[in-house]
Amino acid sequence: MDKGEKDKYELENRNENSINYQAPVMSSDWQFGGANLTSAGMSLVPSGNPLALGSSCASASVADSFGSNLWEHPSNSQNLGFCGINVQNGASSSNAMGIGKSTLTSLRSGVDRPFDMGWNAASSMLKGGFFLPNTTGILPQSLSQFPADSSFIERAARFSSFNGGNFGDMVSPFGMPESMGLYTGGMGLMRGPEDMFAANGMKSVSGVESQKSKLNVTEATRDACLQVENRAKKSPGNDRRSGSLFRANEEAKQGAGGSGNESDEAEFSGHDGGQDEPPSLDGAGGEPSAKGLSSKKRKRSLQDAEIDQAKGGQPPTEAAKDGAENQHKGEQKQTTSVNKTTGKQVSPASHPPKEEYIHVRARRGQATNSHSLAERVRREKISERMKFLQDIVPGCSKVTGKAVMLDEIINYVQSLQRQVEFLSMKLATVNPRLDFNIEGLLAKDIIQSRAGPSSTLGFSPDLSVGYPALHPSQPGLFQAALPVTGSNTDVIRRSLSSQFTSMTGGLKESNQLSNPWEDELHNVVQMNYGTSAPSDDLNVNGPQPSGNT
Amino acid sequence: MCPHTSLKQQFLKKWIMGLQRCSFSKKNMSILERKKTIKLSADIAMASARNGTTRWSRALISNASKDGSDNRLVQQILGPDSNTPAVATTTNKARTRRASVCKKIVKRSHQIRRRRRKCVAAAPVKAVTSSISKHLVRKRTQVLKTLIPGGEFMDEICLIEETLDYITSLRVQVDVMRSVASACFSQS
Repeated sequence: MDKGEKDKYELENRNENSINYQAPVMSSDWQFGGANLTSAGMSLVPSGNPLALGSSCASASVADSFGSNLWEHPSNSQNLGFCGINVQNGASSSNAMGIGKSTLTSLRSGVDRPFDMGWNAASSMLKGGFFLPNTTGILPQSLSQFPADSSFIERAARFSSFNGGNFGDMVSPFGMPESMGLYTGGMGLMRGPEDMFAANGMKSVSGVESQKSKLNVTEATRDACLQVENRAKKSPGNDRRSGSLFRANEEAKQGAGGSGNESDEAEFSGHDGGQDEPPSLDGAGGEPSAKGLSSKKRKRSLQDAEIDQAKGGQPPTEAAKDGAENQHKGEQKQTTSVNKTTGKQVSPASHPPKEEYIHVRARRGQATNSHSLAERVRREKISERMKFLQDIVPGCSKVTGKAVMLDEIINYVQSLQRQVEFLSMKLATVNPRLDFNIEGLLAKDIIQSRAGPSSTLGFSPDLSVGYPALHPSQPGLFQAALPVTGSNTDVIRRSLSSQFTSMTGGLKESNQLSNPWEDELHNVVQMNYGTSAPSDDLNVNGPQPSGNT
Repeated sequence: MCPHTSLKQQFLKKWIMGLQRCSFSKKNMSILERKKTIKLSADIAMASARNGTTRWSRALISNASKDGSDNRLVQQILGPDSNTPAVATTTNKARTRRASVCKKIVKRSHQIRRRRRKCVAAAPVKAVTSSISKHLVRKRTQVLKTLIPGGEFMDEICLIEETLDYITSLRVQVDVMRSVASACFSQS
């Protein structure tokens, strides 16, 4: 618990991702994990029982994080919502860990992250959208608050077919601390939603309310803000959205009364309890949260998350079990569409959360057989890589379909290979020796690396050192050598010179080479100063080499 | 290509080194021999530029080492680095041989199954078109596997990745060779 509290405060301080990530490590606070996720895109509960948390308090905490994130970061709001949901749903430790790590690396990635996190969580928790029913009615209002709704929808659509493996990258840098603050503020204002949760017996909410009197009205629209409030306590960063929220959070944290602390503690304890009993909670809370995570139901899950979070604010003792119960109740209350949608994607598609597993969620209306899921993952991987190929292979941008793309790729590879053959034949005709045009090559290299007419004559002193023994007749050739600017050319030259020096028996060659080198050197110099069109040369010389064959 | 400058330079350096090494071993070579040596040295240089990170490079080097006549050249070009690829090549060879045998068996069984299926009643149109497209894709992946060195033993995902890398390497190779050729021919 201490750790969790510490993490909470860290979050609130809007520390770097690293801090947030540490928070998830604390199993005690799954909510933290959720909050962290939302705010700093922190990973979900690292080792704890995210499932357990999700089932009970997790949902609440996630909702909190969700709400806080949403409020705090308009851009991330979408992500946060999902993240929160995901946190709740995907309370899988593996997911949390994965997400946490990814968030560490990509805190700023933003939008994509939350979805990934949510999805991971959701996939593991695909049990029920208990969040959805509760939040559907409430969240729309809160969702409208999000500045980036359209983008949110886009992302949601994009992530509908998310790959489990991508979650790591998609950790969203949720402004957890900030969002949390927002939510905490909102929690207080949400009296109406409280009624909804009244049945759930959310005591923490009431406690929170007292502190949130100054919260904005907008926040009041969030039912889940109750949860958010708890989250806000955990997530420090209230930067953007509202200082008031932060204050509210702080109040909650400090326990402006016992209620504030209680809610926090409830959250913590709830999470702890959840963690302690992952299996029990998992079955209950996890599944509902998991259901809510279906790609198509992000918004609903958001709402659910908020509701869950609100529920999560229960007193510690009840938090663990009550939370799960409340969640279930919440689900039952607002079932209808949410349940239907979530039901389709229930557990068959969810795999037991395991560490280092790629969690994939079955799309709506698709088979949830493990084989088909793996097949889908494989197909997505292939199509992903085909997209890269589309960029590389010219003329493939408009082509769709594997067969045609493959055809283009084959043609391109064949043409490149033929070009290599042709060029090697062309080069073979240039000089009788294979070590042709070393100076020219060096000059070319120089040109490639740096532009500089002066560098054309850049034969390093190394060469001259090696050569004088071989070409005593042409000391002048290397006197004109200028220092080469390109380091790689120096390396090449040194390597070449070393080779030359090692060739004791190459005197004959050296004599033979000296003349062509001289000629080539001059040519190279001329060429460097002039602009030559290689294509033209190729075209001109094309027929010749082929004629030789 | 600006982003490939370092790769180009690396390739060029290794290529020149290889050429230097082989040129002094044989005095007079026919044009075909020269071309072959040039191409081989270029390929080896390209493959070694990858430092054994990609499968096609390893397969290319191992294939070149298999040949007795080219082995010497490969050793010369790779120099002291040849030790590490050799170890991998032996394992690769064994693995690929086994894999090739297995693949042949699987292929034969697939063909037999396909023939049997064709004899059976015609499938609905939708299945036919999809099967046709699948057939096309399968054929083309087979062709691609023959193009990429060491591609016969890769699965589809790996094949596409290797193709990507191989294409970029080929591009670099072509660019460098073209510039060298233009430098040579600018004299004449």
